[in-house]
Amino acid sequence: MYYKLSGFTQRLTGCSPATAYNPQGMKQGLPAESPTMVLSEARAPADHMEGNRVPDLQRIFQKPDGRPVHLKRGYPDRLLYRTTMALTVGGVAYCLVALYIQSQPKRQ
Amino acid sequence: MAHQAHAYHMVDPSPWPLTGAIAALLLTSGLAIWMHTHSAILLTLGLILLLLTMYQWWRDIIRESTFLGHHTPPVQKGLRYGMILFITSEVFFFLGFFWAFYHSSLAPTPELGGCWPPTGITTLDPFEVPLLNTAVLLASGVTVTWAHHSIMEGHRKQAIQSLVLTILLGFYFTALQAMEYYEAPFTIADGVYGSTFFVATGFHGLHVIIGSTFLAVCLLRQINFHFTSNHHFGFEAAAWYWHFVDVVWLFLYISIYWWGS
Repeated sequence: MYYKLSGFTQRLTGCSPATAYNPQGMKQGLPAESPTMVLSEARAPADHMEGNRVPDLQRIFQKPDGRPVHLKRGYPDRLLYRTTMALTVGGVAYCLVALYIQSQPKRQ
Repeated sequence: MAHQAHAYHMVDPSPWPLTGAIAALLLTSGLAIWMHTHSAILLTLGLILLLLTMYQWWRDIIRESTFLGHHTPPVQKGLRYGMILFITSEVFFFLGFFWAFYHSSLAPTPELGGCWPPTGITTLDPFEVPLLNTAVLLASGVTVTWAHHSIMEGHRKQAIQSLVLTILLGFYFTALQAMEYYEAPFTIADGVYGSTFFVATGFHGLHVIIGSTFLAVCLLRQINFHFTSNHHFGFEAAAWYWHFVDVVWLFLYISIYWWGS
């Protein structure tokens, strides 16, 4: 049995497998129920899905490592985050000093 | 991790609202200090911080939606309402400029010569470049719809081609407007005609640039397989925004370029 959220009643209703809600791009790799195998139709992944890194990235990001989403990819994320935070703290300090200087009238 | 028994997205604690707020502080203070002392250090700092915040915040939203699957149907519904409210607020932003324009042009003061366009102002011919601009934006509205249908029907190549075409048309519009500004026989300092003209069309041009950037991000995401045939709200939001920019241009063209000349 498959379910979807009905936009009309805002409740879960039964539906066909094709219209059931599936998180992004998870249809290829992880079928909820394995379909009946028909050997004559078995084929390699379609050409147009070649180079699709979304399933790999989903695996990386869904690893339960307790990290928040903005640091999930490790070093490059940390570097960017720290640069941004340094600019934030430094910027506030510089801004307060600059505004203080601007508030002092020039003596003739 | 505790089991979640509902479909809503509980966001992780995020530093970006803080860094964004500080970027706004640096930008406003930096702008004032730049105007007073010609020192652009604080302004540049604010711009860099703003760009860093925008990049990382939207990068995280892509992570949460495409890679973590947090954008369930009820969450998408909230995003839809958010985008609708945002575009509504933009409508009122432009309404203010149209109000200023009609206030000044419907009852021109004696200082303007009691007429519109004011005495001494040579206006742009609405049937030259502005008409071409109208055609370009209308055509881009067609190509963005073509892109939407291609995504919905899973035609990956066509979606990429039509998105590229839409972005190119956006750049063409921006280039034509830049040329028109360069050649204009009046400036923003030429009374109320110049100020209403350049503020209204200038903010519209800024919105075209933002819309082109939004569509360019969608193109990158389409190339990287982020959009599926039934889940591509990021693209839909960009398309809504693009149509909004298109409609604002039609009002600008009819009011300022055609009726106002």
